[in-house]
Amino acid sequence: MHFAAPHGHPPKTLNKTNTTMRIVRYSYPNSRARAFGPAFSRTPWSGFETEIDRLFETALGDFAGNRTDPTGFPVDLFENKDHTHVRAELPGVNRENINVEIVDGFLTITATRKTPAEGDARSENSFPMSRSLELPEEVQADKISAAYENGILTVTLPKREESKPRKISVTVK
Amino acid sequence: MSLFQTLVPSFARNTPADSNGSRSAVPARKPTYEVKETPESYGLTVQLPGVTKDALELTSENGQFRISARRSWQQPEGWTSVYRESNDAAYELVLTHDNAIDAEKIDAELRDGVLRVSFPKTEAVKPRKIPVA
Repeated sequence: MHFAAPHGHPPKTLNKTNTTMRIVRYSYPNSRARAFGPAFSRTPWSGFETEIDRLFETALGDFAGNRTDPTGFPVDLFENKDHTHVRAELPGVNRENINVEIVDGFLTITATRKTPAEGDARSENSFPMSRSLELPEEVQADKISAAYENGILTVTLPKREESKPRKISVTVK
Repeated sequence: MSLFQTLVPSFARNTPADSNGSRSAVPARKPTYEVKETPESYGLTVQLPGVTKDALELTSENGQFRISARRSWQQPEGWTSVYRESNDAAYELVLTHDNAIDAEKIDAELRDGVLRVSFPKTEAVKPRKIPVA
């Protein structure tokens, strides 16, 4: 049902005011689109498909290994001969808002992402995140260093002398 | 299987790396992102931890804005991975828009693993106040 314009022209001005959803999620071409060519890629169901996808992405999020806990962040643990390295993905956090602690062999990384007030958000938005992991070996707590680069925090923990692999040469008589 | 793919379309889809053809079969991951709108522009924030400026590529053509980025960090020699949660896969994000943005004035900034892009709207779609005489 629409209203005809006086001279048979569509009411053009109405289209210009519709500015919502300029940037929409990209949806990958599906098998039907490949088979029938680009002209058929927008099926009447395409909007519905996106909805179904979103539903499945949310429902299967846990199985796909996606981190659903918003206060967490991915953490990696590496080891070499003398050090234990912990890498944490913390994009967009200021260095002064990152806290690294060691208590009883547990390393705790706490970070707060602060988004400055802009647009319709009146006050500064702050979002705390925290992860804790057990260290596999004893470390020298006073020699721990941390670096933050490109949104990744790297904590370097030197191993204790006694926990390093030792080479003992035994002379055979 | 085909019925299942009809019901769940994303299973039948190609990854962006596949459909592009030119890229190798490296799986790409969609980064976390957010789009905000102000009267003058659209603001896009993408979380790209571990990406440096040289490894980031932004292209805008035919109403598509594409972000492809790869991680520059590689596990050094002698490091053994004990526990891993992060992913080494590259990032790929494609957003479509209806060309109501001023492509000449797109502004992008990468800082601490966060990419911020602002897309100024073209004059034609900006809200305008019309004075009543």
